[in-house]
Amino acid sequence: MITTFGELLERYEREIMAYALRLTGDRDDADDVYQETFLAAFRAWPPPRRGQERAWLYRIATNKVIDRARRERRLVRLGDLALAAPERGSSVTRIDLARAIERLPAGQRAAFVLRHVQGLPYAEVAAALDCSEDAARSRVSEATRKVRVRIA
Amino acid sequence: MSVDTLVAEARERLVARAKREGLASVGYATFTTDLGPLWIAVGPRGVLTIHYGPEPGVSELARLVRAYGPGVVPDEKRVSPVASQVEQYLSRRRQRFDLDVDLRGLTPFQRRILRATARVPYGELTTYADVARRAGSGRATRAAGAALGANPVPIVVPCHRVVASDGSLGGYAGGLRTKRRLLALEREGDVPKGGWPPARR
Repeated sequence: MITTFGELLERYEREIMAYALRLTGDRDDADDVYQETFLAAFRAWPPPRRGQERAWLYRIATNKVIDRARRERRLVRLGDLALAAPERGSSVTRIDLARAIERLPAGQRAAFVLRHVQGLPYAEVAAALDCSEDAARSRVSEATRKVRVRIA
Repeated sequence: MSVDTLVAEARERLVARAKREGLASVGYATFTTDLGPLWIAVGPRGVLTIHYGPEPGVSELARLVRAYGPGVVPDEKRVSPVASQVEQYLSRRRQRFDLDVDLRGLTPFQRRILRATARVPYGELTTYADVARRAGSGRATRAAGAALGANPVPIVVPCHRVVASDGSLGGYAGGLRTKRRLLALEREGDVPKGGWPPARR
């Protein structure tokens, strides 16, 4: 049983950092998500359910990523208003898997990465996304469908 | 840059932030010494734990959590001054430790026994019976042995200087080989013979 912050860190910090890196695609953003996730966990200690610390951390991290994505989307929209430069023409480059994942909405991206990259069972994906197992399955399958379409 | 490097840097910043927010009060780290790995924890009032091994046991962690809550975090910087004094001691460059020891979470009897033990000078020997007497519990020899067996800060509180009345070594949390080694270091090889006293063989 995990009784200290140190044990929580040593057991899960690598996994959470890798998850944050995969979701944000940026080292500094991943670092922020790591910091915010563990600080939030320390502040909210103890975990809601003993023995489910992993899913709890994924849930916090996923929410942090989604919050950031929402904030950034707002920033992009503001930036769009100032777009006065002539259109450069869309140069469609090779869309690889990473790009396809990157373009998913944050919630679906989290579902896809939790299941297919981190390899979590559906029960833990559901706990991390704070939804039912059925909802988790449908989010993963919707995300997978979009990724398939994009890399086709 | 690998994920491990990224994590190590992120962890250092996280621990600093947690400390600033008052979320982390105990720092720990594992150091490699001539005696093998030592897991050392330091709290706001001094050294809490020196454990023979790379990580502490459940009861040792439970004591830290009882005393200071769950804010026990990896913090090499905070622990390294303790580790370097231990290192100096092990290489015969130090005979006394300039450290505060925090015995919170122990019973009053355990604390009395450990305080009496802390006064045994470098290179000298005493017995379980004598330590019990000095702690004001002359007849509690066996209980004194148990309290010393659960000493959370060996080396700094020198329970290796306490031996059985029949001259045998008694016991030691780090193993009798380590006890013999520490005594040999302090006494230039003049170490009592034998292992456990007859009653415990």
